[in-house]
Amino acid sequence: MTAQIVLQVLLSGLLMGLIYALVASGLALIFGLMDVVNFAHGDFLMVAMYALFVLVAMSGADPLLLAPVVTLVLFAFGAAIYLGIVRFAMRVQTNRGMVQVFTTFGLGLLLQGLAQTIFTPDYRSVDGGIVAGKSVALGGIILPMPHVVGALISLAAFGLIWLLINRTDLGKALEATREDADAVALVGIDRNRVFAIGWGLGSALVGLSASILATFFYIFPGVGNSFVLIAFVTVALGGFGSVYGALAAGVLIGLIEAMTALLVAPSLKMLGVFAVYLAVVTFRPRGLFGSM
Amino acid sequence: MAQPQTIPAPITAFTSRRRRQLAVALAVALALALLPLAVADVFVMNILVLTILFASLSQSWNILGGYCGQISLGHAVYFGIGAYVTVALFVDFGILPWFGMLAGAAIAVVLALALGYPCFRLAGHYYTIATIVIAEAALLLVANAEWTGGAVGLQLPFAPDSWATLQFGRTKLPYYYLALGLAVATWIVSWVIEDTRAGYWWRAVNSDIAAAQSLGVNVFRSKMAASAVSAFFTAVAGGVYAFFVSYIDPTSVMSFHISLLISLPAVLGGIGTLWGPALGAIVLIPMGELTRSYFGGTGLGTNLIVYGVLVMAISLLRPQGLVSLVHLFVPRRA
Amino acid sequence: MLNRRDILVGATALAATAGLRPSFAQADEIRIGAIYPFSGSGAQIGVEAKYAIDTGERLVNESFDLNLLRARDAGLPALGGAKIRIIYADHQADPQKGRAEAERLITQEGVVGLIGTYYSSVAAVVSQVAERYQVPFIAAESSSPTLHRQGLRYFFRAGPHDELYTNAMFEFMDSLKDSGRAPVGSIALFYEDTLFGTETARVQKELAAARSIPVVADVKYRANSPSLATEVQILKSSNPDVVMATSYTTDAILFIKTANELGFRPKGVICQDAGYYEPAFLAAVGPLANGLISRATYAPDFAGRRPEVQVVNDIFKAMSGKDFNDSTSREFTAVQIMAEAINRAASREGPAIRDALAALDVPGELTIMPWERIKFGEDGQNSFVKLVMMQCKDGVYRTVWPGQYASTELVWPIS
Repeated sequence: MTAQIVLQVLLSGLLMGLIYALVASGLALIFGLMDVVNFAHGDFLMVAMYALFVLVAMSGADPLLLAPVVTLVLFAFGAAIYLGIVRFAMRVQTNRGMVQVFTTFGLGLLLQGLAQTIFTPDYRSVDGGIVAGKSVALGGIILPMPHVVGALISLAAFGLIWLLINRTDLGKALEATREDADAVALVGIDRNRVFAIGWGLGSALVGLSASILATFFYIFPGVGNSFVLIAFVTVALGGFGSVYGALAAGVLIGLIEAMTALLVAPSLKMLGVFAVYLAVVTFRPRGLFGSM
Repeated sequence: MAQPQTIPAPITAFTSRRRRQLAVALAVALALALLPLAVADVFVMNILVLTILFASLSQSWNILGGYCGQISLGHAVYFGIGAYVTVALFVDFGILPWFGMLAGAAIAVVLALALGYPCFRLAGHYYTIATIVIAEAALLLVANAEWTGGAVGLQLPFAPDSWATLQFGRTKLPYYYLALGLAVATWIVSWVIEDTRAGYWWRAVNSDIAAAQSLGVNVFRSKMAASAVSAFFTAVAGGVYAFFVSYIDPTSVMSFHISLLISLPAVLGGIGTLWGPALGAIVLIPMGELTRSYFGGTGLGTNLIVYGVLVMAISLLRPQGLVSLVHLFVPRRA
Repeated sequence: MLNRRDILVGATALAATAGLRPSFAQADEIRIGAIYPFSGSGAQIGVEAKYAIDTGERLVNESFDLNLLRARDAGLPALGGAKIRIIYADHQADPQKGRAEAERLITQEGVVGLIGTYYSSVAAVVSQVAERYQVPFIAAESSSPTLHRQGLRYFFRAGPHDELYTNAMFEFMDSLKDSGRAPVGSIALFYEDTLFGTETARVQKELAAARSIPVVADVKYRANSPSLATEVQILKSSNPDVVMATSYTTDAILFIKTANELGFRPKGVICQDAGYYEPAFLAAVGPLANGLISRATYAPDFAGRRPEVQVVNDIFKAMSGKDFNDSTSREFTAVQIMAEAINRAASREGPAIRDALAALDVPGELTIMPWERIKFGEDGQNSFVKLVMMQCKDGVYRTVWPGQYASTELVWPIS
């Protein structure tokens, strides 16, 4: 095994890791804001991919060009899901945690069933557009263009999240609500509105991820299952609610996954990720960047 | 249960409620024992076996998840161990499943204790995600191991009907009574737990860890004990399931889907209650089977839609679980 | 007490009838059960199987002037022209559900035979139920060799199993040398971590060892992975002449796209059908599929030269929008065989139909398959199957081997 192969595998692990981080960022954002784990996260991704599929079919445009549209569509979708369903799960008096888990889980099943009814279980894919089938060569190391562009978009998205949270009024409102949801009502912030925007933003990030994934991945009603466990582990490893923790954890997971596949066995690549995750939470029960 | 010599008034009310629970349970168990007399159909028997088996599984889950408040979505690991150990010991060494189940349960208990050490320091969602991850890791290990047959799985050899080897070609009755026995056992364990010191400790851990600690409850040990009991029964049920189906592979006994089927009845029936798991199983399992039979053949997603909407509706409308509906009709006494 | 008991019994009876789908059994109707995944991740397979089996049902029940098994008569003449009716059941790729549905079909729906199940894990359980109830089971496309080695009397498989498939791939590679083309000096295995993948790879390793062809990479990957970049890199760095790939549609799409992006171009890619043959795969990867070689047991171009095959393919296509493929052609054929056995047995009894199946000897010309004949051995396996190798050209698979079936010249090496 040459150093070049190791470097190649590490780099492609890094790129995939940045994409994992983006897929998980919406989950982390929603959790950080209101302590809710969205068990339908993978199915949101599926919805976003189908939305993109329909948009591409209608317009014939490049999936990356349509990313802003899908992001907006998913913002509306997420906010609507909050207002229509999750809001009521927040109101229950007993077993609130359980109710949230299983309400979103049931929602995920419902979305999968709807997708199968509307789109049939057939595997679909969109024309990957300008990045499809291309690659970047760096001195013997070849990186798939969809991964490179996806990773760059992911970094840009994390930059935008940082600006949004730290430099805007909306960010301040989100941050205040996150710290004390009851107190913000006193200063005239409508908690429900903030939460709805939070769900919208979290889902919008899912929409953005879907645009990247669609340039190289396939679409079917169960497609979310390929990513949802990684997203959960990313969020738990980074520390629930920490968006930047998700960034670090996503990269870590991408690297460990790729190295386990290279050094141990490809079929056991997730085992390496799981082992590192369990080792980390044994010593840091709230993840790498979770508040202790 | 030994009766104290002098009984203060509130205790009397409590004891009479406990007695009433026992009487109801006895009546239900008797009725269920007689039920097969009225059912000849294999498909219905099949649903009944699954319903009762998953009622007992969920009751075991409830001991940890309900009383102790540790929401595990990874019980498939114990279920799978029970199934694999029982079948592998039988196929490879000819060890009868009765002993195999106990071996599987013992291994599951050891694993539960070993995993408890890191996991029970995790709170809330962190614990739940860790259980999912552990079950997925176990699935990968089983799918890549030699003794498990890997992805090919393990099949029981075609053999004549026998109680010793727990194989029955057409009749479901033996599996029915095994599942019923297991359900009764897990119910009794839950019933006993509700009135023992350990049981109070566990529920104290559930409701307020800080308060429990200040009252001298050993939180960590309570979680470990509840976890061991829960793992034991889950593994035994896994063994029964394996012989009921006669073939196991990693996805059919160790996937996330199994963890969900184990936890969902208790959650929807009423978490931390004596009758919640059974009630949840009675609603969920037949519904899953019937929606598949009715709508599955269409190839549309109808069964997923029905199932998903039901899970959402019960979670939202009955957060205390379906068991709370009973109190609408039967006024709560005592 | 009596009252409560009555209520309980009543409730049970209600549950019992709920379990039954409305069945309007007609006296002269003969029911055959078909167990497939209609929901969950394998739903697409079940949906396509249903169209194929419906096509078979129509062929048997209506009168077609075609030289195909059970085409000319309307219904089954030996049973007074009785029509067959297929009862479908959903197993969701779960062996337990497969067992429950097989039992339901036999005891409630009164099916006289079973067809299924795609997944070999489910077929393993269904074959045992069939044995217990003495109802014949035809594994239409489940291809694990373990199935016909259980010593079961009611199990039949007209198509090939994985060992025959893999054997054909190696015979094909042998033929390269004989025809003066670049020989295969080394192979790399790329297969999913399921029963299908691991069983295939096991046989591939045995056959490679027997021919002293070095296996330079043995990549078992996790099915439905988000990325296969590292896997492809391992393959690429081992620099094999040929990659033998065993995947379902999802991973096949990702593998071929990733291999292209990472510039991995071996002399040949020989696929175990499945994902690499799916219309969804071909649509997703477009021109990247050109040059891929896949084993097959149904040769659409060869069959296309026979007008009668064209007729049934058109019926199938009208329903499904697709042409027959390796799986759907065998599902269609399974209906023909079952109907023929029932007709020969002139009986609705399982043991009689089983004996008729065991005695069956149908020349290949009466089927849509390129097989010599259908004649089951003691183990229920038909050993007169023929396998072909196909190569994708301009997005369409065409037969390239063996010579007598070939409709186009093999391109080798592809890069």
